[in-house]
Amino acid sequence: MTTIEASPRGRRAYWLSLAVLVVALPAAMYVHSDGGVVDLIQETQAPLEVQRGEAQTYSGAEWRLTALTRLPGELPETEFVLAEFEAAVSDPAQFQAAMPCQVRLTDGEGRRWAPAFLVERVIRAARPDVSEKPRCLNFAEARTGDTIAMAESFVVPKEAKDLTLSLSLKGEQPESLLFD
Amino acid sequence: MTGAIRTIVAVLAAAAALYAMQRTTPVYSEITSPVRTNGQQGKRVETRNFAIGIAKVHLARSIDAPKSGRPHSYTTSGVWVIVEAAVQATNESLSLTAAEWLGPDGTRYSMSQRLSTLPGTPGTEQLEPGVPRPMLMIFEVPESQLSGATLLVSQSAYTPLSEEAAVAMTEVQTDDIRPVITIKRGGGTLPWVLEAE
Repeated sequence: MTTIEASPRGRRAYWLSLAVLVVALPAAMYVHSDGGVVDLIQETQAPLEVQRGEAQTYSGAEWRLTALTRLPGELPETEFVLAEFEAAVSDPAQFQAAMPCQVRLTDGEGRRWAPAFLVERVIRAARPDVSEKPRCLNFAEARTGDTIAMAESFVVPKEAKDLTLSLSLKGEQPESLLFD
Repeated sequence: MTGAIRTIVAVLAAAAALYAMQRTTPVYSEITSPVRTNGQQGKRVETRNFAIGIAKVHLARSIDAPKSGRPHSYTTSGVWVIVEAAVQATNESLSLTAAEWLGPDGTRYSMSQRLSTLPGTPGTEQLEPGVPRPMLMIFEVPESQLSGATLLVSQSAYTPLSEEAAVAMTEVQTDDIRPVITIKRGGGTLPWVLEAE
């Protein structure tokens, strides 16, 4: 069997090709992910933590969690959690472009609850003022200086502890606010 | 000479490998098919996103159930399979929208669209972590597809790589087919009530 000795030029081309692969492969994955890589990086970013009652600038508004109230649930061993929050609009265009917001309730075990589809009868009876507040969906009429009070309701088991509210708007950095 | 033989063997091996890969290339639907977790009737089956346990299975020739607020009788040339289950989201709120009855010969039966609006059927309720909820699934199948079937439940029939529970239905009483089962609207924790004749 004969061994073919590579020329210095061939060897250089070989190592250059390998070096190009290091750049080309991640670039190809990025291009073909169709934005998935960016989403993945954003998801791994830590949310911006905000103390309850304090305001935080985010997506054209000052956001504030005003109350997180627990009410007896309709199902056994459950409770309703009412999240009341508000946004003082400073940039209506940016604020409206990022709507609707994604609101989630998280407990100490990392479980995440999405808002209930409908405001339940129990909530309407106990807190009619809250049940009439709009959900964080679309505010096409928002103007600079408006303060919009919103509310979402969640169904959680009684044993859920250390609840925090996360609020996320599309295309914004950081990915979400986390109200402790 | 030895080198030539080696070359021929290498080319033949490569051709064989390429042929094998070509013949076994999975189609798109196989690559994106649901991630299945197998289980058995009567036991809790836990997928990554939800858990399900089959409580009871009823068989009937006819179902009486409300239709547009009025009593209606749903007959079939096969058998109605009514499955009562308990389901729970594991880590995140979700909806279970797809259920299929996989017969022993591989035929899949989707849930009956004739009774898909009854309370408690898949897709009518959002499941919450830590809150178990009852779920009602109704299928219309030939009698030959009752024994040895598998129940497939997933978040969506169309989402790629969605979680799917495959429950072997080992305790279906095929000799206990009721003439009529009545399904009424329930209240409180159980959205429906079953009455067998």
